[in-house]
Amino acid sequence: MFALVDVNNMYVSCERVFQPALIGRPVVVLSNNDGACIARSNEAKDLGVKMAQPWFQVRHLEREAGLIALSANFELYGDMSSRMMSLVAQYAPRQEVYSIDESFLDFEGVPGNLVEIGREMRARVLQWTGLPTSVGFGPTKTLAKLANHIAKMAERKPGSYDARFAQVCHLGDVSQQVLQDLFGATEVGNVWGVGRRMTARLNEGGIRTVLDLVNADVAMLRRQFSVVLEKTVLELRGTRCMDVDHEPAAQQQMMCSRSFGSPVTELPGLVEVASQFASRVAEKARQQQAAAGAVHVFISTSPFRQHDRQHSPSVTLPLVRPSADTRVIVGTAVRAIQQMYRPGFNYAKAGVMLVDLRPQGQQQGELDLFGAGDAVSGASSAAPSRLMDAVDTLNRRFGRDAVGVASAQHQSQNGQHAGKQQRRSPRYTTRLEEIVTAQA
Amino acid sequence: MNSIHADAPNLVRVGKDAGANAVSTRASVAIGFGSPAGDSGVTRLDLNDILVRHPQATFLMRLAGDAMRDIGIDADDLVLVDRAITPSHGHVVIAVIDEEFVCRQLHKQGSAIRLQAARSGCADIVAGEGAEIQIWGVVTQVIKAMPV
Repeated sequence: MFALVDVNNMYVSCERVFQPALIGRPVVVLSNNDGACIARSNEAKDLGVKMAQPWFQVRHLEREAGLIALSANFELYGDMSSRMMSLVAQYAPRQEVYSIDESFLDFEGVPGNLVEIGREMRARVLQWTGLPTSVGFGPTKTLAKLANHIAKMAERKPGSYDARFAQVCHLGDVSQQVLQDLFGATEVGNVWGVGRRMTARLNEGGIRTVLDLVNADVAMLRRQFSVVLEKTVLELRGTRCMDVDHEPAAQQQMMCSRSFGSPVTELPGLVEVASQFASRVAEKARQQQAAAGAVHVFISTSPFRQHDRQHSPSVTLPLVRPSADTRVIVGTAVRAIQQMYRPGFNYAKAGVMLVDLRPQGQQQGELDLFGAGDAVSGASSAAPSRLMDAVDTLNRRFGRDAVGVASAQHQSQNGQHAGKQQRRSPRYTTRLEEIVTAQA
Repeated sequence: MNSIHADAPNLVRVGKDAGANAVSTRASVAIGFGSPAGDSGVTRLDLNDILVRHPQATFLMRLAGDAMRDIGIDADDLVLVDRAITPSHGHVVIAVIDEEFVCRQLHKQGSAIRLQAARSGCADIVAGEGAEIQIWGVVTQVIKAMPV
């Protein structure tokens, strides 16, 4: 049985742990440059703020409805993420960190009532870190993801689903009839891997709910859409097509992480793995014409090797300028690994994630201004690079990793974003001079 | 490839860290399960291991004010706050009062909860009448800088 655990409104929830005054108020977190809303509290959602909506469009709500806007604080989110991830990792033998706030867990072989385990896990994460989560269980990853959606909506919008599914929902533990009812009450666009465009096409073909999709003719779906959608339907019917660490192709997370087959204890091994992961996420970013403002890297020992000393560090390195350049991303990831690595630990897992994403080329004017100080000469970070195009083409033709970056030491400098972040909260957990002050 | 460059001024390092000079134990650890005492080699004492019982739940805060001075907590002291510990009578806690973080000693009698200062002339904070007491975490360590 799989679980998907994720943090509700992650960025806003992180801010609320350290700023109780934000609790119960409408809050949004703005992307780098304070351009768009990349996280919304439930109260902000209720005000009608949409995901990725430009700030200038909702700015009037500041005065009219008390909307509070904060600049993104990725150091804080990265640290809170690693706390949450290492806590939930203790509940199941296998974990896939799927994004900064989402984790798949494989409960294969774990005895006991999973709904109870899920509630205990949720309560522990809430008490230990202050972060509220939703937990979805299902016999396939797609069903676990859907269960997570139901758990979240049942809590946020009472009446949308039966209240017993709030916070923790187990789709492998309900009758066929209940499952059909839940499918029928859920729009098809909420299924993992079904994007906005596909939703529109499915709707045109009369497929509106998850139930419609489950009952559709698989061969027709494969013909008219893709093999991926066919797999999605099979997964919704309970047939496992994806394992932990197995991403569906349609999913374009800016994240690459794996558990190792056997523990890695030496630095060169970790550097090699991190370089591979960094190359992959950089390529993904370029495919989507995105650039990252920061790189989040983690390594972790296994909590199940109880005699091992445990070491689960993570680091979020800001880039001087947003980039999707393999050389910059790999260099930064390698530097992160070198700083975090300690001899004598059996590392079992590593991950590289791009955060603070924005459309490529968004800051070209700024790039020109600072171009002279570019650490990686010739690597204009945000503008599409011909070298990187060539790398991607070669890798497509000759297979992944045909061409890459030799992990030499890169000198990408470690500085603050050039963009403005006028509303950023203190980095409460990563900078000693910015920790919370308590009044005595 | 494995040269270590340490010149990263703004590096943010997070999580449990064994310290930069921990003795390598990889030769023995790589073998795996065995007597933990025999396998773990010798490493320098690490304050993280000594002071932090729940790394994922532990946060640093700075103290301001002198309401806790009689039990030895002064302004500018650093405190370790552990959210994994369930607050009980006698614990020094960080509470949220009027949306601000406040350090006091927890006094529990049955269901009655008070927050006591450790200085004469400082009124207790009592729950009720709109003022809800929310405990954020339990103070487990106080770090006091000596003049040097």
